[in-house]
Amino acid sequence: MKKISTHALLDALEQQTESHLFEAIHSFQNLNEKKLLQPAINGGWSIAQCLEHLNRYGNYYLPEIKKGLEKDGSYNDEFKSTWLGNYFIKMMNADSGKKKIKAFKEYSPAPNLDAPAVVAEFIQQQETLLRYLRSARNKDLNKIKIAISITRWIKLRLGDTLQFLIAHNERHIRQAKRNLAQANVTSTQSRMAILACI
Amino acid sequence: MPEPLQLLKNVVDAVHPLDPSEWDSLAAIWKPFKAKRKEILTQAGQKEDHLYFVVDGVQRVFYFDEQQREATLVFTYAPSFGGVLDSFLSQQPSHYSYETLTPSTFIRTSARELFQVIGSSRNVATFVQKGTTQAMSGLLERMVELQCYSSEEKFKALLKRSPHILQLVPHKYLANYIGIDATNFSKLMNSIRI
Repeated sequence: MKKISTHALLDALEQQTESHLFEAIHSFQNLNEKKLLQPAINGGWSIAQCLEHLNRYGNYYLPEIKKGLEKDGSYNDEFKSTWLGNYFIKMMNADSGKKKIKAFKEYSPAPNLDAPAVVAEFIQQQETLLRYLRSARNKDLNKIKIAISITRWIKLRLGDTLQFLIAHNERHIRQAKRNLAQANVTSTQSRMAILACI
Repeated sequence: MPEPLQLLKNVVDAVHPLDPSEWDSLAAIWKPFKAKRKEILTQAGQKEDHLYFVVDGVQRVFYFDEQQREATLVFTYAPSFGGVLDSFLSQQPSHYSYETLTPSTFIRTSARELFQVIGSSRNVATFVQKGTTQAMSGLLERMVELQCYSSEEKFKALLKRSPHILQLVPHKYLANYIGIDATNFSKLMNSIRI
């Protein structure tokens, strides 16, 4: 794997997290419960389920990242992905990893959720992630290792974990946005139906 | 004139117009400043070094203590002044913090430079006095709302004053600002959501 600049990497990750927060604040938090809980047209997850799925990942990864950042004091201005890290990131990438991934059971939320609380938690987690991305700026992203969520036996470099986690966020934010487009179409249709009744 | 200074001039003119030379000396002390989302610009315990003039974005002045109690005291957004005003004017350590809630653009000046201009221009001094008075009126008005209004009235007053803020700021800060819990806030939201 090629060495890359730690700062350029964190800039890109911060920008992506900023765009996820913007989406949640600008749109998701202003939707009513019905829209947040409406399943996708193909029977897939609702917007709330997508976000809850990400929250559960965050529940595992954010405390691990925090511990990792607290442990190591050294700094490295370069980062190099491992072969395995790169494999996971590629798999999660919404552009390159087109294959559908089946979520593990504990990461697969039931449809009946407290939707506003899920959105609020998502926003809270992304604000926390932004803070961690900033404190990662004076750390060595190669040296800090984080175990992956499904098994303690596999550890990734913090730089890979962050890329993996944020690529995963991007994947499901896109999924949620597809639902949003569909929710808007349905509400326009129902408004037109109401107009027709009048 | 750069756009941020034009914005500032509009505000100054509306409060207390200055002679051209006075405006020039006031305009000369501002420098551009940018911050990303959720950056602490002034930490409680430190003295406020700057007076900000907001060009873009939303920020808040807030109280936070060791018992994790939090109070969002003031939101600032364009075109208005920002920073912890009491600490800035008194140059004493601030009890409150000032942070960005969205990516933000400002112009800002230091206490030393502003006090110099105030000292040499009577109209700038009057402008600052009138501006501070307006800010105080706003705070007293808000205290009435906090003490007398129902949750629903506070919610409606907030939306009437700043209808755009629902799409800009996480709702938890808005709920905190009007002193109601997040669940109650989302119930009120549901009554207006489409």
